[in-house]
Amino acid sequence: MKLKKVTALSLAVTLAVSMLAGCGSTATESNSSASTSGAKETESSSAGADSSGTKTSYSEDEIANYTMFITMPGSEINDDNEIADLIAEKWGVRIKETWLTGQTSSEATGTLIASGEYPDYIDSDDMALLVDADALVPLDEYIDQYPEFKEQWFTEEEWDKFRWTDGHIYWINPFNNTKGEPTTTTHNDEAFWIQVRVLEWAGYPEINTMDDYFQVIEDYIAANPTMEDGTPNLAYTILCEDWRYFCLENAGQFLAGYPNDGSVIVDTDTLTVGDYNTSEDTIQYFRKLNEEYKAGFVDPESFTQTYDEYIAKLSTGRVLGMVDQWWDFAYTVNDVFKQQGLDELGCNYVPLGLTTEAGMENRWHTYDDTVNQASGIAITVDCEDPARAFQFIVDCAMDQELHDLRFWGIEGVDYDVDDNGLYYRSEDQRMNWSDTTYQASHRCQYSYFPQWGGTSDDGINANKPEEQPSEFQVDMAQPLKDCLAAYGADNYVDMIGSVIETNGAWFPMYSYSNNFTIETPGGVAWVKMGEIKHEWLPQVVMAEDFDATWDKYMEVYSAAKPEDFIAEMQEILDTFK
Amino acid sequence: MTQKASNTVKHNKITWKEIKRQKFLLIVSFFMVVYGFIFYYWPLTGWVMAFQNYKPKNGLLGSEFVGLKKFQFLFGDATFIQVIRNTLAMGVLNLVTSTVMAILFAILLNEIRSSCAKKTVQTISYLPHFLSWIIVTGILHDALSSSGIVNELLIKFGLIDTAIDFFAHKEYFWAIVAFANCWKETGWNAIIYLAAITAIDPCLYEAAAIDGAGRWGRIKYITLPGIRPTIMILLLMNIGNVLNAGFEIQYLLGNGLVKSVSDTIDIYVLTWGISQNDFSLGTAAGMFKSAVSIILILIANYAAKRMGEERLF
Amino acid sequence: MKKKKLSTADKIFTACNALFMIAFVTITLYPVLNTLAISFNDGIDAVRGGIHLWPRKFTLKNYQTVLGKQNIITGAYITVLRTVLGTALSLTTNALLAFVVSRKRFLFKSQLSLFWVITMYVNGGLIPVFLLYRNLHLTGTFWVYIIPGSVSAFNMLVLRTYMTGLPDSLEESAQLDGAGYWTIFLKIVSPLCKPVYATIALFIAVGHWNSWFDAMLYNRMKSEYTTLQYELMKLLSSVMQQSGSAANASAAGADAAAVTPVTMRAAATIVTMLPIICLYPFLQRYFVTGLTIGGVKE
Repeated sequence: MKLKKVTALSLAVTLAVSMLAGCGSTATESNSSASTSGAKETESSSAGADSSGTKTSYSEDEIANYTMFITMPGSEINDDNEIADLIAEKWGVRIKETWLTGQTSSEATGTLIASGEYPDYIDSDDMALLVDADALVPLDEYIDQYPEFKEQWFTEEEWDKFRWTDGHIYWINPFNNTKGEPTTTTHNDEAFWIQVRVLEWAGYPEINTMDDYFQVIEDYIAANPTMEDGTPNLAYTILCEDWRYFCLENAGQFLAGYPNDGSVIVDTDTLTVGDYNTSEDTIQYFRKLNEEYKAGFVDPESFTQTYDEYIAKLSTGRVLGMVDQWWDFAYTVNDVFKQQGLDELGCNYVPLGLTTEAGMENRWHTYDDTVNQASGIAITVDCEDPARAFQFIVDCAMDQELHDLRFWGIEGVDYDVDDNGLYYRSEDQRMNWSDTTYQASHRCQYSYFPQWGGTSDDGINANKPEEQPSEFQVDMAQPLKDCLAAYGADNYVDMIGSVIETNGAWFPMYSYSNNFTIETPGGVAWVKMGEIKHEWLPQVVMAEDFDATWDKYMEVYSAAKPEDFIAEMQEILDTFK
Repeated sequence: MTQKASNTVKHNKITWKEIKRQKFLLIVSFFMVVYGFIFYYWPLTGWVMAFQNYKPKNGLLGSEFVGLKKFQFLFGDATFIQVIRNTLAMGVLNLVTSTVMAILFAILLNEIRSSCAKKTVQTISYLPHFLSWIIVTGILHDALSSSGIVNELLIKFGLIDTAIDFFAHKEYFWAIVAFANCWKETGWNAIIYLAAITAIDPCLYEAAAIDGAGRWGRIKYITLPGIRPTIMILLLMNIGNVLNAGFEIQYLLGNGLVKSVSDTIDIYVLTWGISQNDFSLGTAAGMFKSAVSIILILIANYAAKRMGEERLF
Repeated sequence: MKKKKLSTADKIFTACNALFMIAFVTITLYPVLNTLAISFNDGIDAVRGGIHLWPRKFTLKNYQTVLGKQNIITGAYITVLRTVLGTALSLTTNALLAFVVSRKRFLFKSQLSLFWVITMYVNGGLIPVFLLYRNLHLTGTFWVYIIPGSVSAFNMLVLRTYMTGLPDSLEESAQLDGAGYWTIFLKIVSPLCKPVYATIALFIAVGHWNSWFDAMLYNRMKSEYTTLQYELMKLLSSVMQQSGSAANASAAGADAAAVTPVTMRAAATIVTMLPIICLYPFLQRYFVTGLTIGGVKE
């Protein structure tokens, strides 16, 4: 144990010294064509643990050690991470990822620029600052060198969205791309969630509107005031801590049948931008919440609880319903349910595609890939060999073997393959994969490098284990299976039943409003609107006299000049006409 | 005794003889001034950012000058005034409560006869200093929630009928912040006063005991005057810090309902400046805070001088 | 008779004081014990909340994870080094400065004090400071921890107050014996300042021990100069993410949602506290035992 640490330490020092010496040795250029995409389309991805594949293997001094800074919090992997070493050996690149710690993204980016010393790769929330500072390498010519990647990764229109005002592309968004068949099983977005035990008790009724939703919850709680162990049931809670207040704020746009443009709603016929904050659907939504609050069905701690408390509350299994996005609660809460056996009691949540009126189309779920052009992976001017660095980006996207190594791990260690070529994992393997210590020493996802959803090149397996249907089934408790079956759904996506359609090229509009600055009146209005909503929406829900409070809120709201913001958003939308 | 010391200051004339005599002092001073200039004063060139639309790529020299625009933005916004009020209120409240608590604790601790008990209590008292605000606010949230221990006790003793949601009411927020500060820092702040108490000549206590002074008498006539210079110095220093009422605690304890009383200058700058990539705005607010601090310090120091108290300079 | 009356008052005082201390200790100790209990609890179980003074599902895993972090040994080494070196240097410079400005005859004492007092309330901001350190070639070195912050007006003022309180007669008699200022500082003032030196040393040491921001800012990519607290901070950081954006969080999925478990945070806190708890008793004797200044009286 001790020896291992010492070895690790000396390795770290060696690494650092070699970095000092200038990012390791220069890559052998000739390799660049050897490991490009095309040829391997058919290659089976079962190379497995032994790294004696068809490709050249790199010795330690041929490996390029690159650094990457990501302005999101994340967990570092060890310098001697096993899969990272394997990747380095086969693809000749090892990445040292550094994450945001105790600073905001723009502070961190600002100091990087001030220092003039950049990591080799960067993914920042403030890409504009970096481009302004001439810190990034234009990627167009490299992209053109890999036509296959260019074609598969984005459409021509999508690439154009990434073009900076000077016509160059500086970064590539690594997320939300689907290959093969879409395999999405979870509804990652926002929804009204409800526990399956409520639906089971009510006999799996059809629920279309907020009235239906609260009716079934109220009936359930009247009949079952407590859980089996005596914990009182809680009808409905709302999270509104800081930026997570979307759980309260924007349900109105979905209830009206719009997709998640986030900051505005878009009328697709006339291509006009609208403000959902003042729409009838939003008023009706808050009116309903207000009624429920006064009737005592909304958790009185809703507006003061922190995220930790909210998660703790959900984890007890006593909360029957709430609005949230899947990723914001499910990973933590479902683990606890499983461990406590609460999933067997039907505490798991399923999403409901509610609308203002029954029978309307809902767009809570976004089927097509959402391209967020505001950020992505970029190569900086401090990178000695951008061609090689870019090649690794392409490898990540195009090499199925590398992709499997990142997301599934090593065959025989992290997953097994059955006779049909289907990947599966034992309980132990799943546990290991989600263990933090194991992750640091073994797992290496390079999670801000390009990655695919959907099925892999073999046509059998999903690109990511959580999307593998068989894996998904294994994880589900009986009450959840019963519930999905009762509604004729295979998974969460079927359950919410959104309209399947392709969104306009402008979608999502929030990727534009996120980049607003206070240099324009619209940007100022945007910040003010947020501040006012934070302060007033809870009051509106708690109000004795809803209409009077709403009017007061609207008075303050219109003083913030939301029309400036809407006008600027319209200008952006007009470019798509 | 100590009061007298500061009153007997006489101004020396600058003569060669005096300079030679003070050679050592002057050499040390010279290095200290050079050091201070480099590490504290030189970075103030950054203040030029407040008058610019600072862009990292252009640097301090190349950014576009916008005059007083950033200041106009700050003071033109009604919420900024509100934010100053909150910051001042919490700053003053914190200053008063934490000073009083720390002095009280140090004196009472000093009165404990058993040296073992004294050491134990003191060791425990400063431990919360090492807990981060995330942890302290987490515990505080727990204790003050509607099912928390505070509400439980209040109901048990019949003081209230239904649980109070302390974080939903604006009137409690400042008090909660002040309490949290005291809770976390009293023991730690008391260390300085304890050290000052040790400087008091034990003979004085003996003399007082012979004169028939009780415990209160000794505290009042010996301990308090003994640590008075320390109290004064710390008070003077902290008066300049009232606008630095903090960021973390308000950020972690606040919520939409109490926003109008919980937002501080730092939070305001974060909302408007940092998250919008506006470095200049933060600098402008920082300059404003510095200006207020220095004015407060000058006034306080002048007052202390007039009253013959310990001074900062 | 009078004496008896007094002792009744004293008794009441002692009783009240004891009560106050018990209340104080209870209310202060709770968060610490709570943190300790949580640090020994299973992570997933702790999410349910409701752990007070005793772990519900005991495990050592949090400590294994925290202490098993890579670079934690380098971090500990650098932290100890900077704490020792930094405290020694800083205490010396602050004491010297305080000595200078506490000399009553010193020509520029109020000017020099003012010069330093101002530094407490002004700062040029992150970027100018960064540029300065870079131009001085301090970034990317160990010295960036030691050199920039070594003089602080706060410490200087506390030391000065104590030194001013020392009887003037000591200095005067030494000067009559022909002692220079250096001798007075070393042989007369410093020995009497032990309690306040201990206090300031503690403040400086704790400051060094706890700091991580400088490591992150100036040595982000240099893992050989990482500090213990920076390594621990990386565990805590995901909680304090100030400007979150739902767009990115949702894209990164599970990774972004994986907030560091409260149990890990608690374990990291306890790891931070321990050395200071061990160090304190050694310094404590200077605070709780009175110091006799000796026969010289004013």
